[in-house]
Amino acid sequence: MKTEYIDAIKKEFGNSILKESVSDNETYLTIKKETIVKLCDYIYSHLDLPLVLVFATDERKTDGVFKIHYVFSIDKDDAFIILNINIDEKTPVFNSITPKIAAANWYEREIQDMFGLRPAGHPDPRRLVHFEDMPAGVYPLRKDFDIRTKPPRVEGEYVYRRVEGEGVYEIPVGPVHAGVIEPGHFRFSVAGEPIINLEIRHFYTHKGVEKLFENMSMDKAVFLAERVSGDNSVAHAVAFCQAVENIAGIDIPPRAKHIRTILLELERVYNHLGDIAGIATDVAFAMGAAHANKLKEEVLQLNEKVTGSRLLRGMNAIGGVRRDIGDKKEGILLELSDVQHDFRELIEYLMSIPSLVDRIETTGRIYNDTAKGLHVVGPAARASGIDRDMRRDHPYASYRDFNFKVPLHKAGDVLARTVVRADEVCESIGIIEQALWSLPEGDIRIKSSQIPDGFSLGYTEAPRGETLYWVMTENNRIKRCKVRDPSFCNWLAIEYAVLDNIVPDFPIINKSLSLSYSGNDM
Amino acid sequence: MLDILKKTLKTGSQTTKYPQIPDFAPAGFRGKPELFADRCTYCGECVTACPPGVICLSEKNGDKVLTLSYCGCIFCGRCEEVCPYGAIKLTEEYELASKTKDDLITSIRRKL
Repeated sequence: MKTEYIDAIKKEFGNSILKESVSDNETYLTIKKETIVKLCDYIYSHLDLPLVLVFATDERKTDGVFKIHYVFSIDKDDAFIILNINIDEKTPVFNSITPKIAAANWYEREIQDMFGLRPAGHPDPRRLVHFEDMPAGVYPLRKDFDIRTKPPRVEGEYVYRRVEGEGVYEIPVGPVHAGVIEPGHFRFSVAGEPIINLEIRHFYTHKGVEKLFENMSMDKAVFLAERVSGDNSVAHAVAFCQAVENIAGIDIPPRAKHIRTILLELERVYNHLGDIAGIATDVAFAMGAAHANKLKEEVLQLNEKVTGSRLLRGMNAIGGVRRDIGDKKEGILLELSDVQHDFRELIEYLMSIPSLVDRIETTGRIYNDTAKGLHVVGPAARASGIDRDMRRDHPYASYRDFNFKVPLHKAGDVLARTVVRADEVCESIGIIEQALWSLPEGDIRIKSSQIPDGFSLGYTEAPRGETLYWVMTENNRIKRCKVRDPSFCNWLAIEYAVLDNIVPDFPIINKSLSLSYSGNDM
Repeated sequence: MLDILKKTLKTGSQTTKYPQIPDFAPAGFRGKPELFADRCTYCGECVTACPPGVICLSEKNGDKVLTLSYCGCIFCGRCEEVCPYGAIKLTEEYELASKTKDDLITSIRRKL
């Protein structure tokens, strides 16, 4: 992939580039360890490319080093730049880029916990994934860590940021919440009603997904990917499959591409309907919530009729899809036209209720520069004026073939996020209709038993935002699989969104960001 | 207020009478997998393919035994897909709750 950005980097930092390789739309550059901060800063600030992912690999067996990879996205040219640096086991330290690029914060802390590589100069070097009872020196993603190891529990303490002063109170919420939701700890500091600081703590349900992927066969790994984040299962499965198909050079049949697109959009529709219902619930507008939930249930039942699973599971496989849905075309079109009609009526109605609109307007603002700095993704980013969508900027499946708009709003409040979702539901139904009308004839899957050694990115725009997989294969099995759920980027935004809001508005702000615990904790 | 009443009346009652009136899953539903003793050759294809590893092949008192646990089953249908003899099939049954874990294990056997 030819792009002027690579030339610019070569011109400025030619001496620091040790190796270059290009595969498809990914350009890999191996960089001298010392220049990484400068180069990342140049790409981020000067070339204005977003940092979408930072991850490490343990390649001591083959290359004798750990590697850290920095992925930047060139939305304009549908390309990616992936910088990597080598880190010797004897000096497991690298220079932190977080002081320059805030979006690298959690990635670097995650690498510190999972690989034992220390980001020197990181402004917040506390543990992230590991809890205080994990002994020092245990690094689960190193290759010499056996998955069956049960590290002993030790004494330890986690120090929260404190806000002190007269009349400042701390309100700890969670990790156990009312209702059937997952665990997370929220510590509010308040002076009167307004929140002056929020610190979140997560990873209570860390399942070691990336370790589980290691040595897994491709067929089985699809089902693991499908379960990383329960309600975004198609997006995860497709992202994983696309990464592997990229490595193997498989171009899946056009019919399979269309079916994948339909499934991805059905997933978006039911997720967004559920989120809109949740927002109505959280402002205590039960009638609106009931109607939105009714529509969500109709789509879930449609999913069940089409795929045999309410959450659209078990449909994707390496090389295509496992079931044809062509014979269900009429049923889907009919059901969706009903849903769209009812949904339009409902949204119009919801937006005419002052008690709802007044409550969500200007609530939970995420300003454009905050969203950009933290690399917020998905509907939350598009509600804060960030015009990014993987479906348009890095088209996959058959999105190239369809017309659709990417809704964009600038206010950054709960209302804007609700409206972005509402607009996206209508666009999604439009995409499904186009895909069904133009469903090509032919096979739905190319069987492949042997996947060559290699590595590649896979990506989708999940209902929550861009989902990235970076897969490395060896001997027909997975050597390393890095998963980046959109929630990993968006969780930190909530610390900013709640500032100056009152505590009772926290649930709505939280809901409007629609964050996944499971996808984040992994 | 009038709008709320109008919309509520128009939508009507949405809840069903389940479980008094049974609710049937649509055709193609991914439900409880069933084993067919007469077709199974105990080749072990399903054991290798099962992603969560809940199908086991063992020998007990001179019998070959194939066990399937619904506890960890993810209803992906890989077993059905790889079985060369059609000896395992997903059914449309979804009411699988039980009081003991033993009730969630099914097995077939054959003399060696």
